[in-house]
Amino acid sequence: MDLMQKLTILADSAKYDVACTSSGVNRGGAHGSIGSASAPGICHTFSADGRCVSLLKVLMTNVCTFDCAYCVNRRSNDVPRAAFTPQELADLTIQFYRRNYIEGLFLSSAVLVNPDYTTEQMIKALELLRGPYRFRGYIHAKAIPGADPLLIQRLGILADRLSVNIELPSAASLDRLAPDKKKASILTPMKQIAVGHAQNRKELAVYRNAPKFAPAGQSTQMIVGATPETDRQILKLTEGLYHRYSLKRVFYSAYIPVSQDSRLPALDTKPPLLREHRLYQADWLLRFYHFDADEILDDDNPNFDPFLDPKCNWALHHLEQFPVDINRAPLEMLLRVPGIGPKSAKRIVQARRHSQLGLDELKRIGVVLKRAQYFIVCKGFTSAHGTNRRAIASALIDPNVFTAHTEQLSLFSLGETPQLSAAGISPDLTLPQAKEAAISCIANRM
Amino acid sequence: MYRESDVVYRYDGSFEGFLCCVFESISQKEIPFDILPWDFAATTLFSEKDIPTEIAKATRVKSSFSKKLGKAAPTCIAHAFLSCHPQKELLLLRFLILGYAKGPAVLSMAGHPDVAPVLAMEKQVSSEAHQFTGFLRFCDYGEFLGSTISPKNYVLPLLRLHFCQRYPSENFLIYDQTHNAVLLYFNGVSEYLILDKPPVFPAVSAEEQAYQTMWKQFYQTISISARENPRCRQTHCPKRYRVNMTELADER
Ligand code: SF4
Repeated sequence: MDLMQKLTILADSAKYDVACTSSGVNRGGAHGSIGSASAPGICHTFSADGRCVSLLKVLMTNVCTFDCAYCVNRRSNDVPRAAFTPQELADLTIQFYRRNYIEGLFLSSAVLVNPDYTTEQMIKALELLRGPYRFRGYIHAKAIPGADPLLIQRLGILADRLSVNIELPSAASLDRLAPDKKKASILTPMKQIAVGHAQNRKELAVYRNAPKFAPAGQSTQMIVGATPETDRQILKLTEGLYHRYSLKRVFYSAYIPVSQDSRLPALDTKPPLLREHRLYQADWLLRFYHFDADEILDDDNPNFDPFLDPKCNWALHHLEQFPVDINRAPLEMLLRVPGIGPKSAKRIVQARRHSQLGLDELKRIGVVLKRAQYFIVCKGFTSAHGTNRRAIASALIDPNVFTAHTEQLSLFSLGETPQLSAAGISPDLTLPQAKEAAISCIANRM
Repeated sequence: MYRESDVVYRYDGSFEGFLCCVFESISQKEIPFDILPWDFAATTLFSEKDIPTEIAKATRVKSSFSKKLGKAAPTCIAHAFLSCHPQKELLLLRFLILGYAKGPAVLSMAGHPDVAPVLAMEKQVSSEAHQFTGFLRFCDYGEFLGSTISPKNYVLPLLRLHFCQRYPSENFLIYDQTHNAVLLYFNGVSEYLILDKPPVFPAVSAEEQAYQTMWKQFYQTISISARENPRCRQTHCPKRYRVNMTELADER
């Protein structure tokens, strides 16, 4: 089999892994070597599905001894199989890297023979890159659940980021769909990586030249929509992972049916993209806006609102906390105003030291006044707070849900989104009609 | 107090030249109607003043930046000057005049009408340069790696450090089509050149062709068809970048 065929098979079977970021580590170049890394990460292209492509994302092999129901590579699925040799993979990475196609390598693998053997193959490829090729670019490696802790330790010294996929949001779902995997076999390496990373930071503080263990930390991914968990359960799990295992990122992947299986959604089920989008928005609130999961969703509202992003939704449920005084309020409160992001909040705090801010200043700072105006007071402006509820609802409603383009469906086209029909919006309304209905629905709730 | 004047300053288009315009403005206490490079079409309405580039004056102005406007100022000003904004000089001048009056606080006055445009230019330049660190493509011509880009702003100076660090053992050439400029890095030494005509790149080898084909194939394969979303791709990777990107150049 030639390299082109291998690349096709092994990229195709890696594409459901969402993470493609190259963030979290700064490393300059060095004489006689190739490569560097930049902490914010660099996107090298965007694929037709709109996702950032930063790394050469491939599997070492897609030959698998396991049989996870939700996975294309499961043993019982009839697909073409291939495996890279470590040498082939190292060459390909360097050649792509020289042409600035990629920021580095994201190496994952199915379980060939057993977790230890698979991990050893991955280590060989990475040792070639870091050794003879003197590659200083970004490497993200997947730790295979069940692999020997010593092997994971070696992998972490070679890679910038490690990840262990949590796969499904509950132990019960794992038992049902991934009989070869146990919750413990996933959490054990995660714990090992978290502890290893923390210890390594202490060592580095003492010995500057100690080898670095996964300096860009670890991430994980879970599939959304294959199993019955609520958004609240998923978000609580996320919060727990951030706190307990100091994860850098949790990724969500809307389930795309890959097989006819009575335990899974039917083959014609559309991936729940809106739900995935809301999870990312809420995840953002946890990481950059000082929100707790319990503030975003609770037992009465265990799932996201289809029409509102979680921050606007929170604001509408807490009108008593507004309006916020732009010239006085603490940073954490500014961050809760719809239309103010972390950048503008910081700029407001700096700028108001020099002079009182009014609407003109806020606009120049980058605040989205269309949304913010209902939630703030500032110099010369006593807030549109308390104005008619429809106006507020139509300023806050998520425009992405209700835009359509002639040549293409909107990000979440109406008929595809079960949440919308659940909220009482009939799929045969036209877009503007549906939007009006949704606005009324929000206004009535206020 | 500064007097708003009807005169137009003409300078050589270089950063040092611009700094001499700042020197002139401040010593005359006048804000010109506009500041334009010499090669820019003549205005007829206003009287013009030629500002010669004198390194001594430029150096004095430059050293005032970090002294009077704070540590972050020199970079911010230098980056904003790379902007393609037709009035970048005047916007920067107004910002500097305010800055000399207010001190280092000026950079945090993001809501001020003389500060916001400069921060916006700086952001535009840095983010375009950042895009090119990813979207730029090299082609292996055997002797060297070659690339063509068409940026709006003059981003080559911001790409230099990034690529020289990344490929210390390669020779490479980046051609900026918009500004007819080239960044060369050969045998560990980098320099800029201004060209009169586009460079002619050698023919592409079979091996190079093979890697391009594999990259395109990877690019096609990695996308999930059930999630196809051209609008999202368009937002993140606008058409103007795609003409020079191996995997997207021949997509219509
Ligand atoms: S072990 Fe990994 S590759 Fe194998 S079937 Fe399970 S999820 Fe797929």
